[in-house]
Amino acid sequence: MTTDRVEHTSFVIERELPGSPKHAFRFWSDPTLKARWSGCHADWTVLEEAFDFQAGGKETKRWRTPEGQELTFHAFYLDVVQDERIIYAYEMSFGGARLSASLVTIVLTPHGGSTHMKFTEQAAFLAGDGTSEQRIEGTAEGFDRLVEVVSAEARSAA
Amino acid sequence: MFFALADPQRRGMVERLSTGPATVKQLAAPSGMRLPSAVKHLKVLEEGGLVASHKAGRTRTFSLNSEAMRTIGEWARSRETAWNSTFDRLAAAMLELEQEDGEQ
Repeated sequence: MTTDRVEHTSFVIERELPGSPKHAFRFWSDPTLKARWSGCHADWTVLEEAFDFQAGGKETKRWRTPEGQELTFHAFYLDVVQDERIIYAYEMSFGGARLSASLVTIVLTPHGGSTHMKFTEQAAFLAGDGTSEQRIEGTAEGFDRLVEVVSAEARSAA
Repeated sequence: MFFALADPQRRGMVERLSTGPATVKQLAAPSGMRLPSAVKHLKVLEEGGLVASHKAGRTRTFSLNSEAMRTIGEWARSRETAWNSTFDRLAAAMLELEQEDGEQ
């Protein structure tokens, strides 16, 4: 594999959340509340953390894994409507190779006493060049790690 | 490719195929799917590049196009799965904390 590949996909997750949209929104906008549900790997060292929740604001997280690889997450908030909507773009890199770039749209709608959350992610997955593929998905073991990283990425990108 | 994986029955077929090649009948059986319906689902998967088939005599056998699955399918599926478990934690965290006064 020596060619660069980009694969696009999008998926939608719809959930009923307990409480009002205002309550739900706080769990996306308040760093302390957000940390309660979007924690990352306990054995990763945090190198950098920044959270500026507003349209035009950035969120950054950078970790080092026990293997010494660096994992980075950068988000840019494009649209924030209090208690209703959040749109952000984010990218994720592992060991210096970018894994994906996405647009995420979260829409909160009142539904009885609870909140209907519609989460849409439109993603470009980057299969990478020969170098990064060798590094992150050249072996079954590497691929397992990649799956783990992508899973963890979703948790931390939340 | 993702349209192909959007359907839970097709995802079930892909999971079954991840353990090895299978016939239409074998793929239809676990979910009690009718054969014509299974054939239709498999056609979508084949067009999506996720599975390949070959015919020996009267039997058509399907197998996973592992290269395709290995890259994008697994990534996106694992991300979607991860978000779902993350949102389980979100819902739990929301229950733990009382709403502020006046919220409804």
